[in-house]
Order: sequence, then structure tokens, then C-alpha cells
Amino acid sequence: MADVIQMPGVTEQLKLIAGLRWNMLKNNLQRKNNRWDLIGMILAAAGGAVVVVGLCVAFYAGAYFFLTTGRASWMPLLYWAIFLWWQVIPILVAGFGANFEFRNLLRFPLSLRAFYILGLGYGFADFAAVSSLCWIASMLVAAAVGRVQLLPVMMVASLLFVLVNVTLERLIGSWLEKIFAKRRARELLVGLFVLSMVSMNFLNLAMQHWGGRGSRPRILHLVAYFSWLPGSLAGNAVAAASDADTQSLVLTVGGLLVWLGAASGLLWIRYRAQYLGEELSESAAPSAGKRGPRRRSVSLGLPGFLSPPVAGVMRKEFHYLTRNGFSFLALIIPPIMVIFFTMEFAGNNSQIREHGLPPQFFFPAAMAYLILILLSPAYNSFAFEGHGIQSYFMAPVRMRDVLVGKNLFLVSVVAVELVISLGVLVWRIGFPGLPLFLSTITAAAFAVMGQLAIANWSALSFPKKMEIGKMKGQRNSGVAVWTAFGVQILIGGIATIVLLAGRWSGNPWLPVVVFAGLTAAALGGYVASLDPLSVLAERKKELLIETLCR
Amino acid sequence: MNGIAIRTEQLTRRFGALTAVDSVDLRVSAGQFFGFLGPNGAGKSTTIKMLTGLLAPSSGRMELLGLDFQRNPIDVKRQIGVVPEGMGLFERLTGSEYLHFVGRMYGLDGATTEKRAGELLEFMQLADREKTLIADYSHGMQKKLALAAAVIHGPRILFLDEPFEGVDALAAGALKALLGRMTERGVTIFLTSHVLEIVERLCSHVAIIHQGRLVAQGSLEELRAGIPGDEGEKKTLEQIFLSIVGQSGGEQARLEELTWLT
Repeated sequence: MADVIQMPGVTEQLKLIAGLRWNMLKNNLQRKNNRWDLIGMILAAAGGAVVVVGLCVAFYAGAYFFLTTGRASWMPLLYWAIFLWWQVIPILVAGFGANFEFRNLLRFPLSLRAFYILGLGYGFADFAAVSSLCWIASMLVAAAVGRVQLLPVMMVASLLFVLVNVTLERLIGSWLEKIFAKRRARELLVGLFVLSMVSMNFLNLAMQHWGGRGSRPRILHLVAYFSWLPGSLAGNAVAAASDADTQSLVLTVGGLLVWLGAASGLLWIRYRAQYLGEELSESAAPSAGKRGPRRRSVSLGLPGFLSPPVAGVMRKEFHYLTRNGFSFLALIIPPIMVIFFTMEFAGNNSQIREHGLPPQFFFPAAMAYLILILLSPAYNSFAFEGHGIQSYFMAPVRMRDVLVGKNLFLVSVVAVELVISLGVLVWRIGFPGLPLFLSTITAAAFAVMGQLAIANWSALSFPKKMEIGKMKGQRNSGVAVWTAFGVQILIGGIATIVLLAGRWSGNPWLPVVVFAGLTAAALGGYVASLDPLSVLAERKKELLIETLCR
Repeated sequence: MNGIAIRTEQLTRRFGALTAVDSVDLRVSAGQFFGFLGPNGAGKSTTIKMLTGLLAPSSGRMELLGLDFQRNPIDVKRQIGVVPEGMGLFERLTGSEYLHFVGRMYGLDGATTEKRAGELLEFMQLADREKTLIADYSHGMQKKLALAAAVIHGPRILFLDEPFEGVDALAAGALKALLGRMTERGVTIFLTSHVLEIVERLCSHVAIIHQGRLVAQGSLEELRAGIPGDEGEKKTLEQIFLSIVGQSGGEQARLEELTWLT
């Protein structure tokens, strides 16, 4: 008989988990790299806090305005904004709510009830929930200041809205966790998700196309069909109270209760399945003798002058790219975005001419955008290596060969992307003239070459492990992010000055000459950096292995 | 046996205040099947990591095949093969792609790499999975692939960290035969394993590390001779190991303290 006499209560368990997380954070800070990372995170959190507080003011102002000017029927807009934020942001930030630590609690003798409550507790602990609660509180304060008689109803509606949201978010998270437990499903769905996020950029264009001008856009008629969803129900409850419409009030509050009951019931079923030992891990490997799925072997033709290690690294990078849905999509997205920008600003709906900006602005701007997107991964270029990082240090090669292989592959990819995007630009807005065309190309070459050495330094000094097909915790080190940000601003600034100098001097060939010189200097700097970076890699190998093999 | 394959002098590695490996002097002759043993946390993996270039020593010297490791790391690495802790695989490559990558990293030409990769995959019974991602391999299959990668360039010293862990008995038998052949051809094998029966069956020489210090080194016969006991009784490696690193009676006394459990 075990000696456990009394199980700790839910509050005690929450305290234990909070203590566990605090100890993990504290122990993590004993490493210098993690301290730098923390500083990066604190800066990012400060930025996030500014946004949240700023939006608190906006929600307060919005609610105050709607409630005091007889526009309470617009309140659903505010609740809808919070509803979407609360449900979508955890998917983006927290990686579909797959909370390994939470499921780990099942090792302990918890009751199903305690497990359920702890699950909800975790739901309140993410950024989306905390910010949403702040905004709802702001709206309640606005009600208290503007129309205090609405406060009780608004408190009830908001409370139900909060409970529905947290339950729904956990429910969606737990279902996604189940689906995403399989690697193939995970990679496929993450790819589709990213693509759908990108395609949202075309919403504005779609609305311009189908929305009509001068009258109420037809797309807004769709909103009426969403009146049964929590955002509308909570807002309409407040509106009904404002209009003293008891029947609507009962219906909307009842609707929220139905949502809460249904979501709670479904979440209970999901958690019960987990509680009873649902298996979420990858299925067992296929038995020996049975053939695994055949993959078409794609060969990468590489020039013969490359040394075997450089060619080996390039080939490996190619295979990794083709099997990393996220990175692969990152290549498709830039040309799509170039099409989007040209449709938005240089097509039939051109706003650029309305604002007097020359269409040629797009050439350097689009290239800057592409390089910003495509070069960012270089600042953490070992992210996906995992245990494979050891191969580089066990093999009889210097890190310069590995870096050259990685950089050559990246430059090849960027070159292909630039060619495609330049083709799209010429097709959409015409050839800008040889000087500007060459300026754009040489500026791009400078922007790439100017970053590679620093990106390599960042990748060796501040590595952060990432896993293909996962979204949770997939971020670069804070220092790497800020380094990339700083370098890109600097290079962007230099490029802008050079381009403007060409314009002011009246010599359109000046930027071409200057950028060519800068590119040559950057190339020299890059070559000179390879040996010191090899020495740095030797010094940092323990950090790299420890971080990436974790 | 021709010469010394591995020699360390006062090899030391510190992690802050902790000395994980403390002044270790190893001597491994060429062509030996050498077992490197020790309890958990004794310093085995740290030593292997230093000997294979994955970790820099705090002090001391390492000489492999007569070459100073610190001065000639690339030349030394050309001569050695490693199955490291964690196996060091790129999980998003297929088995054949990974072997191709490793072959090229060791400077083999494309045709040789292709030929050897095919033969090794066949030998390791992975040929029917050559197009399967390593991420989809079972643990044992990954181990076999890591071993294939460690030998593709024909190394003269092979470092194996728990090579048989997770490998089925059938494949383990074939691997042992392969390793035996390699030592006959003069390849030195440096192996760590917690399964003492395997070490006893395969290795001719053994070193034992305990709390970072080398506490025994020699052939199995030499080690047996150094252990007190009945004349004529052939002691197993487990008995030798326990008599060297185990605090005899200590565990029993501590066990008695767990009255609430026993």
C-alpha cells in the first residue's frame, strides 16, 4: 500500500507547477546564451505589452463610444475581435496548444476532475488569454464609466464569453494535438496553414473586387450568418440589455450557455480520452521486410569544382529544404507577395499612382523584402541539424567548408527567387530601365554578401534548435533576431542612401558602380571571415552540440 | 599488434568545478578490441567525445595513430569512425542520402561512396529502407545506420558508444562478426557498453574509469589476476568490475536505511 494519505488539491498542484516552471527558468539562466536570449525575450515582451496596453485603450474607447452614443449594436465587433484573437493566436504562437508538460501530469495520481481544471488553468496562462482578459476588463471599465446600468449584464456576458473562449481554445488545442501527433499530418497541415495565412493578404483585394464601392460591401452581409457564434452572442447580449430587449437578452445569454455546455462536454470527452491513456505518439516503425514509402530521389546537379564536403553539405541542404514544408513554403511566398504588392499598388487598383510614387520603386523595395525574408534563416542556419551537428565536428573538415556549402546553397536559392520575382515585376509593371535594373541586382548582391559573414557568426554563437513540422517554440534566439534586425536596417539604410544619391546626383549609373564596389568589399570580408569563423566554431562546438542535440 | 593506436597523457576535462575526466593515461594498441567501462557519470562519454573531437580537453594530450590530435585534428579525423552518443544522424535524410553525405564529408568520390553505401545498407539489412527518412527508422535501425556511416570510409580506429543498444539479436550477431573481422585486419575498436557480457565476449583489453579517474587497464587476464578470490575460479567481467568500482557492502548498508520501502 502506497504511503499517500491525501492528494494535494488543485490549488496546491497549480502552485507546484508554477514552482516547477520558475525553477526551470531560473536554472536556464545559469547559461550565458540563455541570459542573452532572455534579454531578447524581455524586449519582445515589452513590445507585446505596449501593444496590449495600447489596445486596452482602444477597447475602452470603442466600448465607451458604442455604449454612450446609442451604438450598442456594434458591441459584437469588439467581442469578435477578442474571440478571433483568443482562438487564432494560440495556434500561431503556442503551436496548436500541444502542451507536453500538461500531458506529463498524467504520470501523477490526478483525478479526471483535477486534470480537467488544470487543463483550463493552462488555458488562462497564455499570452492570448491574458491580453484578451485585459481588453475585456477595459470594456467593463468603459461600461462602468459610461453606462453603469449595463455593467451587470455585461459582466455576466463577458464571464460566459471568457469561459467559452478558454474552453474552446483548449478543445481546439487538444484536437489539433491529436491530429498533429503524426509527423506527416503535422507537416502537411502546418504547410496548409501557412499558405492560408499568406492568402489572407489577398482578402483586401477580394473585398475591393467583390465588395462594391460607395455602398455597404456585400461581404459584410455575411456577418449576419455568424450571429450564433460567441462573439456575436456576447455583444448582442449587451446590445439587448441596452435596448431593454429581454427576449433577445435571454436568447443570447442562453446561446452562450449552450456554447459553454457543448464545449465543456466535448472537452471533457477529449480530456477523458487523454486521461485514460490515449496514445498520441508516432505509430511504431513498420516491421522489417515491409517496404517503407518510396520517395522519388531528386538529384541535385552540382558543379565538379566544388570540394566533396562542400558538395555534400549543399546536397544535404537541398534534401532538407525539400522536406521542410515550412521552409519550402517560405520560397513560394515571396514571389506570391510580389504579385500581391503589384496587384495592390501597380495593377488596376493601383494606389501608387494616386500617391505619386513611381512604379519603379517596386524593384528595389521588392528585392529588399525578398532578402529580408530569405536571409533571416541564415542567422540560425544550424537550427534543423539536430544530432546531425555532431557529424560536422566528427568529419575531417573545417567549419569553413560547412559554412561555404550552406551559404552557396542559400545564395543559389536567393538568386532563383530574385530572378523569378524580377520576372514578375517586369511582367506586372514593365522594365524600369537598365540603370535601375542593374542597381537593383547589384544592391541585392550587396545585401546578401553583406549579411552572410554576420549571419554565420550569429548561427555559431546563438544557435537555437528547431524542429521541422512543429510550430511550438520554433523561434530563433532573441540575440539572433535582434542581430538580423540591426544588420538588415543598416544595409537597408546604406542601400537607400546610395539609391537616393543616384537620384539626387542625376547620374543613374552611380548606384550600380557603388553597389558593385560594396559587393566586392563584402565578398572580401566574407572570404576573410571564414577562417576566424572556423576557429569560433571550434570554440562554440560544445554549445552547438548541447543546444541542437537536446 | 603494431604500435599504439590511442595514447592519452594526463587527459583532463573540467566542467566548472566538476572534473569529469581526471588525468587519464590510456594506452590502446593497434588492432585491439578495447572495452571502456565505468559506472554512470564516470566519464566514459566525455573521454570518447574528447578522443573524437566533439569536446576539447581542459588539459593533457591525445595521440591517435601517432598523430597529436590537437595539432592535426583533420588528419586524425580522417582515420577514425565514430558512433557517438545520440548517433549524430540527420533525421531528414534517407539512409542512402545520409551515407552519401558522410562519404563525401570524408572525401570519398561519388562512385565509391555510392558503391559502399549500397553494400553497407545491404549488410545492415536496411536496403529495403534506403528511401525511408531516418526519422521514420526504429531506434535499432538508426543504430545500424550510424554504424554504417562510421565505417564507410574504412577507418583505422572505430569509436562505438553503446553500439548494440536497441539492435536485435540477429543484427547484433552480424555486427559482432563484422567488428571481429575489422580487428583481424588491424582496425582498433574502442567500445563502451553497460552490457558487460558483450564487452567480455568481444574485447581482449579493458579499461575502467571511475569518478573521472582510470582505475584499471589491461587484458582481461591481467585484470582477473589482480582480483583476490579462490584459486582457479574464472571471474566474470561483472565480478571484476564490481570489485574495482563497487563499494562492497556499502549498497547493502544503504539499502537497510530504506526501512520505509523495504
